[in-house]
Parts: sequence; structure tokens; C-alpha cells
Amino acid sequence: MLKILGVIIIVLALAIASVPYFTDCQFQGLALTTIDGKTVPMKCHWTGIAEIGIAVPLLAVGVMMTLSRRKEGIRNLSVIGIILGGLAIAIPAGLIGVCQTPTMICHTVMKPLLIVLGSLTMVCSIGALVISIKAKD
Amino acid sequence: MIRLAIKIILGSGFRSLAIFLAVAGAAGFLLAISLIIIGACNSLDSGLERLGADIIVVPQGTQSKVETALLMGKPFNVTTPVWMPRENLQKVAAIPGVETASPQVYLSSMYNSPCCAVSEMFIVVFDPATDFTITPWLRKNLGRGLARGESIGGTYIFIPEGWEKIKIYGYEVDLTGNLEPTGTGLDRTLFITLETAADMGRASLTKATAPANYVRQDARTKSVTFIFEKNISSIMVKVSPGVDPHKVALQILEDTDGMVPLESPQLFSAFRSQMNGLLWGLFAITVMIWVVAMVLISVVFSMSVNERRREMAVLRTLGASRSFIFRSVLTEAALLALSGAIVGIATAAISLFIFRDLLAGTLQMPFLFPSVPSTIGLFSVGVALAIISVTLSALLPAIRSSRQEPAIAMRE
Repeated sequence: MLKILGVIIIVLALAIASVPYFTDCQFQGLALTTIDGKTVPMKCHWTGIAEIGIAVPLLAVGVMMTLSRRKEGIRNLSVIGIILGGLAIAIPAGLIGVCQTPTMICHTVMKPLLIVLGSLTMVCSIGALVISIKAKD
Repeated sequence: MIRLAIKIILGSGFRSLAIFLAVAGAAGFLLAISLIIIGACNSLDSGLERLGADIIVVPQGTQSKVETALLMGKPFNVTTPVWMPRENLQKVAAIPGVETASPQVYLSSMYNSPCCAVSEMFIVVFDPATDFTITPWLRKNLGRGLARGESIGGTYIFIPEGWEKIKIYGYEVDLTGNLEPTGTGLDRTLFITLETAADMGRASLTKATAPANYVRQDARTKSVTFIFEKNISSIMVKVSPGVDPHKVALQILEDTDGMVPLESPQLFSAFRSQMNGLLWGLFAITVMIWVVAMVLISVVFSMSVNERRREMAVLRTLGASRSFIFRSVLTEAALLALSGAIVGIATAAISLFIFRDLLAGTLQMPFLFPSVPSTIGLFSVGVALAIISVTLSALLPAIRSSRQEPAIAMRE
């Protein structure tokens, strides 16, 4: 069961890293134009970059959870998974955020998807934590 | 009894999982469709309430344009603006039964221009002297009307980050507040007064990439005129108390030319009928899915009871009554229905809440998530419906299992 949860976390990490790439405003060809004519990526693009920073350690957590046999190690990995899942939600929801216009793709697709993926990561990590604690006892 | 039912459920994992998923899927789908139908109706009703007029008079041939603009917040194409002569206002105001007639002008910000902070935003200009739609809300919530250079926005209107005001045509408008959400285009609409619209028009001549389409400047005298000085986009009509709005609308149609009165209940009617057709069709499919799921659950229970004939015969031999066997099968069904319905409905409700903007955008329909009490009500009805229908599906197998003779079942 722990190995299955590890594989699910790997899939979730890959999704967290790749979803913003296809659902941010930059992918739709939208960017901010400054007074001097330069184009600057919108806020949602930086959220996407930060999500890669979350996804990489999460991927490592998933791989280690799949390979590890030590219950104590899995317990620690699960706690890290819960924190990373929470961060995956917090980045689009508040820490960086997405563009303000409610009809933009980052608002309608990217943010909700990252919230769902982050929540699933937390649920899987909590599941792994519970199983590893029970297995130890 | 419950402990025994839980043991049976856990003991036959695959069958229980199949029933659980069937109930979760059917209940979740049913709730999602119900929430969408209620959300769309809520949105239309609150949009009509926000408009606050009994009748909206628009130029002939522009009904669908105006309805789309109000419903989806999409401004008109700048090349085909909605205008009618301002004299129409006096004609409508003179019709018996009309208590108040107030003009509105529909504008929009420019598309993807650095002089406008928001691209193609729908702007409604109202006359504070006669307005009865926005002004009462302003007096109630701000304690005053809008001053020059001020605006009030729908719930989705915001000041862009790094700015203190909203820049439109190079003119900076102060956002004094946001109206409550309606789920319609009014949420993406900015409301300003005629004075502010005139200032914005003047500013557009020097500060915008192109002058606003409602401003004209005489090349020789440099004097500025505005189209809304002689034209308006619509007339909001409030009828006197006790007067039938339908009769007033007919009178407007008879006494005036080139205008169409849209009665409040009939506003968005084309959209409402399209939406009803689509959503009730989906609802009918969901009911069919539900019936098929219940028949399948009944078949699964029959098979399960057949498999467990010996097990039940042993229970009977050990002293369990017919009623105990009957109740144990029904308890198992009810527990599976309860857990499946809770998980399915909760998943559907949360998903719908998270993806509500995507849903409204994809289906091109207004959507206002139902209030917490009505969502809780729907949740309870969904769970109760699942328990009742799954228990009914398991009723026949339960009766058969309770009536079987233990000796015959043990011999088989």
C-alpha cells in the first residue's frame, strides 16, 4: 500500500510541475507590457515556476517512499509530503497568487487544479503517515 | 447489527467497493446537476434583482445584444453600438403607469490598450438624478451617491496591483466599492455617472491611444460633444405601485417607435429556455443513470445473498431470527449507501465550488453557487435519497434471504 501511495505522489508531483506550464497566461500568449514597451510575464507564471520548486522535492519524497522499507523513514517522508502539499495549495491561493481577472485561464483552471493536486498530495501523505504509524505499532 | 454489517462489507471488498462507487457516482452526478440548475436560476434571479427595473426599453433589434451584455458582461462591438434618441426618455416617462424612467448608456474600455487597465470592460453610465437601480444601493452602503471621478463595480471589478485607481482611456477612476455577486455579467461591469463618463471622454482625446467612440471634437473650434448628450442606450422603467407592468410594456410598444420594452420576468427568456432545455435534459439522463445503478445494485445484492445462503443458514441455526437476517442485509445496504453518498456528494460539491468559474465560462452561462443552507439541504436530500433507493434495491434480496429454510440452504 505504501508503495502505491509513493507512486501516486510521484504522479502528483509530475502533475504539479507540469499543470502550470500549460495553464498559465504566458502559455496563452498573454504578458504585461511596461511603459517602455517590454513584455513581462504575469504573476501566474511565477506561481508556476515556484510550483516546480515544490514538485522536485515532492518527486523525491514519492521515489523514496516507493523504495524505502523503514517505517520511520516513511513517516518522516509523509510529514514532508503533507507540508509540500500544503505549499502547493498556498502558492496559488495566497503566497504568490494568480492574475486578478476572474475569467483568465490561470484563475479558472490553474489555481483550482493546483488546489486539487495539493489536496490529493496531502491526503496521500496523511494516508502513508497513518499506515506507517500503524505498521510500527 | 451494525458491527456485523461492517464485517460483511469489509469481508466482501470488491462487491462493496462496486456498490460504493455506483452510489457515489450516481449521487455525485445528481447533486452536481442539481447544483448547476439551482446556481443558474439563482444567478438569473439575482441579476434581475440587481437590475431592479420592471421594464427595460432598448432600441429595436438590439434586444439580444443588450441581454448578452447584461448576462455575460460582454460589451458591444464598438462598430455596432446601441443608441436611440434621448427624446425617447420623455416619451416613455409620459406613458401612464410609469413611475420613474431613467436612462443608461452602455460603453466599454478599449481592447488590449495601455491606456486602459482592463481590456473590453463593460461600463454602464447612469443618471444619478433619476436612477433607481444603483443609487439606492449606494445610499444604503456608502451613505451617499457617486461623486465625479468615482465608480462602483461588480464583484469582479478590482484595482490592478500597483495602481490606486482604475485607468480607462487614460482617465483614472476611483473604485468606491463592489456590489454583491450575481453570477451574471453585472459582476464584471463598472458603473459610473454621466459626469464621470464626460470627463473620461475628454481625457481620452489627449491621454488615450485613440479617443473614446462616444466623443466627438470639432476640428475647427475644438469644442467637445458626447453622443450620450443626444442619445442613450436603454431606459430603465419602474412602474407605479399596483400597475401591471405587462400593460405598461404594451402601452410603450403602442405609443413609441423604434423601441422594444423587455419586461423583467421575460428578460433573458431566450437564454433561460435554452438553459432549461440543456439542464433538464442532463437531469433526465442523471435520473436514468440513477435507475440503472439501483437495478444493478439490486442484482449485486441478489447475487451476494445467493452466495451467502449457507452463511445465513448457519446464523439462523445459531438462533438468529428471520427479522435479524432481513435487517442485517438492509443495514449493509444502508451503510454502503450512506458512505457512498457522502463521499460522492461531497466530492461533487467541492469540485463544483473549486471549478465554478471554469464551469460558468465553459458552459457560457451565469452561475452563482447556492447558499450554504440550500447546499446543506441538497446534501441531506441526496444522502436520504441514496439510502432510501439503495435500501429499496436490497429489499427483495433481503426478503428472499430471510424466508429461506436453513435446512434446505445447508444441504445445497
